[in-house]
Amino acid sequence: MKKRGRLEIIKDILRTIQDNRNSIKHTPLLRKSNISTTKFKEYFKELIEKGFVKEIIGNSGQKTIALTQKGFDFLERYKTIVNFIEEFEL
Amino acid sequence: MAGQPMHLLLQGVEIELLYSFVIIVCSLMIYYSTKEMYELSLYKGIKYFRQAFLLFAVAYFFRSFIKLMLVYFGTSRIIDINPRFMGSITLFIFMFFGSLAVFYLVYSLMWKKWNEKSTIILGTFYLISILISFIIITTRQIEVFFGVSIFLFAIAVFGMYLVDRESKNKKKKSNIHIIYTLLFIFWILNMIEILIPNMFQFYQILLYLSSLGIFLIILYKVLKKSGSY
Repeated sequence: MKKRGRLEIIKDILRTIQDNRNSIKHTPLLRKSNISTTKFKEYFKELIEKGFVKEIIGNSGQKTIALTQKGFDFLERYKTIVNFIEEFEL
Repeated sequence: MAGQPMHLLLQGVEIELLYSFVIIVCSLMIYYSTKEMYELSLYKGIKYFRQAFLLFAVAYFFRSFIKLMLVYFGTSRIIDINPRFMGSITLFIFMFFGSLAVFYLVYSLMWKKWNEKSTIILGTFYLISILISFIIITTRQIEVFFGVSIFLFAIAVFGMYLVDRESKNKKKKSNIHIIYTLLFIFWILNMIEILIPNMFQFYQILLYLSSLGIFLIILYKVLKKSGSY
């Protein structure tokens, strides 16, 4: 199986959130991301810092993760970014 | 140059300014049309690619500045400009940014291979660019100018050769490498044209049109692939 690159992992995490009606808890997201817990923590921290995802605390006090507008923008532009990288061999 | 009528000199300046202006606009368009992609992805390859064209824009700005100074001071050689430090500083900036632009573009292709040593490699590129610029402003020999140009071109081509060697998709990779090789060749010819006046007197327009063509091709590819076109 081909090893996923950084951009692809980010896309997969964001896509998982989107596919779950833009609301998912930490544990199922970690499971579906298919990466180690350590790596997931790193990526999640990066996604929060970049403003791609946000944590929402529900009425019951449970934390869920949702995409921000920037996260949606990234998913929309992902294919273009990958094509650009391939075209210019970056 | 001093013997030429003023209206011919000004006509030359107009062409020079137009030429530099178009290349600066192309470079800045490449830089800004990839801004969103970089901000979303923070991908290093895109970062180095953008920086290369920003540096080209700065280098071509100083190129046109040098040409204007030559007309203003009525000389054909930048080292003859008086006060001397003015010519030397401008030439240093032009050489420094131009060389660095070439290095950044090559590094955008090979950064993955040496990502962990990026600080050392980029530091070396800055150092070589400073060294090249220093040699150029302190030397007045044509042989040295040619030597520096060949050295710069050799580094660029060697970098691309290393990337090409590991490439899996040979056909596709050669396309962009041909464009980059032409870009480097025409950049170096532009550099030589500043260092050795009247070198391409009869082929100057051809040189300018070819350089413009390369920048326009890259701009077209960037706009098309970035979704701005």
